[in-house]
Amino acid sequence: MSDELLRLERLTLRYGSLTAVDGVDLSVARGSRHALIGPNGAGKSSLFAVVAGTTRATSGRVHFDGRDVTGLREAARARAGLVRTFQHSSLFGGCSVLDNVRLASERSVGSPLRAWRSRRGAAEVTEQAMGHLEAVGLADRSGAPSGSLSHGERRQLEVAMVLGCRPVLVLFDEPTAGMSAAETQRFSELVEALPDDVTVVVVEHDLDVVFRLADRVTVLATGKVIADGDPETVRADPAVQSAYLGGRSTRSLFGGAR
Amino acid sequence: MSADVQEVTAPLVGGSRRRPAWRLLAAGVVVVVLALLPLMLAAYPIGLMSRILAFALLVLSVDLLTGVTGLPTLGQVAYFGTGAYTAGLVGVHVTSNAPAQLVAGTLAAALVALVTGAVVVRTSGIVFLMVTLAVGELAHQAVDSLAFTGGTNGLVGIPPITLLPGGEPLLLSGFVYWWVLVVFLLGAAVAAVVVASPLGRSMRGVRDGETRLRALGQETYPVKLSAFVVAGALAGAAGTAWVAQARFISPGDLAFDVSAFALLAVVLGGAGSLWGPVLGAAVVIVARDELSSYVGGLGSMLLGAIFVVAVYLLPRGIAGVARVRRPAWTRSRGTA
Amino acid sequence: MLDWFDAYTGTVLNGLALAAVLFVIAVGLSLVFGTMDVLNLAHGSVSLVGAYVGVAMVGDSASIAAFVAAVLVASAIGLVLGGVLAAMTAKVSGHLRQALLTLGVALIAGDVLAEVFGSDVKRVRAPEGLDGSTEVLGTPYPVYRLVMVGVGLAVAVLLYLVLERTRLGAIVRATVADRDMVEAVGIRTTLVLGGVFAGGAALAAAGGLLAAPVLGAQPGLDDTILLLALVVIVIGGLGSLRGALLGAVLVGQVQVLGVALLPELASFMLFGAMGLVLLLRPAGLLPAPGRRA
Repeated sequence: MSDELLRLERLTLRYGSLTAVDGVDLSVARGSRHALIGPNGAGKSSLFAVVAGTTRATSGRVHFDGRDVTGLREAARARAGLVRTFQHSSLFGGCSVLDNVRLASERSVGSPLRAWRSRRGAAEVTEQAMGHLEAVGLADRSGAPSGSLSHGERRQLEVAMVLGCRPVLVLFDEPTAGMSAAETQRFSELVEALPDDVTVVVVEHDLDVVFRLADRVTVLATGKVIADGDPETVRADPAVQSAYLGGRSTRSLFGGAR
Repeated sequence: MSADVQEVTAPLVGGSRRRPAWRLLAAGVVVVVLALLPLMLAAYPIGLMSRILAFALLVLSVDLLTGVTGLPTLGQVAYFGTGAYTAGLVGVHVTSNAPAQLVAGTLAAALVALVTGAVVVRTSGIVFLMVTLAVGELAHQAVDSLAFTGGTNGLVGIPPITLLPGGEPLLLSGFVYWWVLVVFLLGAAVAAVVVASPLGRSMRGVRDGETRLRALGQETYPVKLSAFVVAGALAGAAGTAWVAQARFISPGDLAFDVSAFALLAVVLGGAGSLWGPVLGAAVVIVARDELSSYVGGLGSMLLGAIFVVAVYLLPRGIAGVARVRRPAWTRSRGTA
Repeated sequence: MLDWFDAYTGTVLNGLALAAVLFVIAVGLSLVFGTMDVLNLAHGSVSLVGAYVGVAMVGDSASIAAFVAAVLVASAIGLVLGGVLAAMTAKVSGHLRQALLTLGVALIAGDVLAEVFGSDVKRVRAPEGLDGSTEVLGTPYPVYRLVMVGVGLAVAVLLYLVLERTRLGAIVRATVADRDMVEAVGIRTTLVLGGVFAGGAALAAAGGLLAAPVLGAQPGLDDTILLLALVVIVIGGLGSLRGALLGAVLVGQVQVLGVALLPELASFMLFGAMGLVLLLRPAGLLPAPGRRA
């Protein structure tokens, strides 16, 4: 296996008697496009929350970029380059589109606690942020209140914000949920256009998107990894078929009908 | 009236977007008019203006937390009181020099805000409101029981301020007003600079999505604590200005009502905007000190009624702090 | 240690008596916040209304029966006030606006009460037969304060039984933990919330009256009561009965010992206690299950 960026060891998350993430071992290669799939309630979002540090793991370890980040808080992990998006678009609704990205850029190139404005610092941050907005095709909307964006535009803005964080690894949590076909297409292109040195892990229901983007697929069911490999291997795995489909034909799942 | 007020109550979207020249001009005209007031008005209305400006600075500090950072507070009287009592005690025991009192009071308030804020900003939303209310009330009780602050009777015998060491005491209300105006403008300038700074943007980020900001790699605790200390310092400066014009401070000036009125001024003026709450402050002081004689001394009742009406009629007045997921006003307005 | 205890028996008991009324008052505030996230800033005003009911009906002397009647009247008035407040806040969206609404009501109520009853301190005597002293560990102690402790305990036990053993209590607890889920199974939470609001206000009014023989009744007492009740639930944990009880006992002791030992610094000790809890357990000592800070 090539250079390993993220490694999860026996990662477990329990809420009382419910085990949402159950001893997950997972390895993500640097530069890969890694998809995480599984039926509803499989623990995909919970796994993301534990990896990103939004939620503390009950047990197990998270190794990122050669060091153990299990004890780090969410913000510290994000500073290390481990950045997540949320299932439901969460923008800074009272701020302009540009300010949403500046909030991300400010942290990576500026000084977010400085209580006065410096002309040079502000120009640098704004230039960075506008660059990211251009990359996602929102440059002409920079002055709009972010609350006025359409659903697809919000997702584009999220990508710009993630870019502003200078990510090493991005965790996308169901990014195309609720998108129209055209918006999904646009989003897939955005992800494909991400620099090669940015690693992507995506939780995704739309299997067209999964097999278009991913070079590796991990299947989760009831909090456990039940299959892991390249798309073709996973597609043929009988355990995946039974967990996902209750033993029915794989056609309805992988045949593109959704 | 409601259309005007709704205009006033719409929060700033950007804060750092470029201001048109006419706004700077308007601000300049307002400052000049304020500076010329003592030449036009009698002593009593000038005293009223001094009270309004000192209170307005307290209201600005409440707005920095409530409107800009999304941390609704009922506790800024604690830092207002720290500034006022420090200035008063410096006046009684050390010097009547007003700039010295301003510096001492502001620093003391910032320090107290740092110590208490370290605990208080661990909370958010309504719990923050709850805890700051407790802090304000406890400060009220503390000055009521401490001996060196004069207890229930308050701090008396504060000499009139002087501007230069060994200078003439400022006895005329017009001169005192000019000093209060200077303090207010300094404080308002600090507030405006902070709101337009990276910190100001981070504060709005906390308001609109604290968890999201954390996911972007920004720790929110230092943002909230910085905002709290800046707001505390402004409230302290307001306290020194209050003492400069009243030459008296008592536990009554730290009562729950004062916190409530300051928050009311922010709500009336529109949380998140800076000049709206200043107008709100004027409305509140005039209602409390001037109109209350027409309603049989029931100033609190009048303001309470305004409060209730404001909550029902001005949903946009507090849009910036209501923390609804998708504020209605952002959709109803086009591009800014 | 024992000497100290002897010297402070009275103080410790005073703390428990204060804790008893604080619990009775704060538990309503806590459950209202727990079930519907409404911070009722008029809660202290409702308690003060209860105290003034005592001024009007008990005043300088009353039989036990008259005192009990006054408690019932105060509770009934509290019930109505709570229902009105619940109806008012239900019409307003947003927790901050709801809190501001109750704040406006508190300001109005403060002025109205001061206008009706005057701004001086009004005394309420303990009921006849309970206004004497008895020996506790060799020191004389007012009987009425022991009664306060007893009433507080009785209310705690009663509330515990209602919350833990009845269907109504189960619904309230479930609403605290997950309101959406309760709505999803077809229970109208607005009714539950209104009921909790009214019940909590009734307890607040009764608590204000129970405390009146010790604390009296005067303008400003509403703010003090609100402050102490808030500290109680911040320390104890929001929305939980056990939290309110523990918080009340701690605040009662800190307040009374603080006033006895270091009168000038009593409020700093109260802030210190609250700050310590916020530092170590931001959600309070015994928060309701299913709630986060």
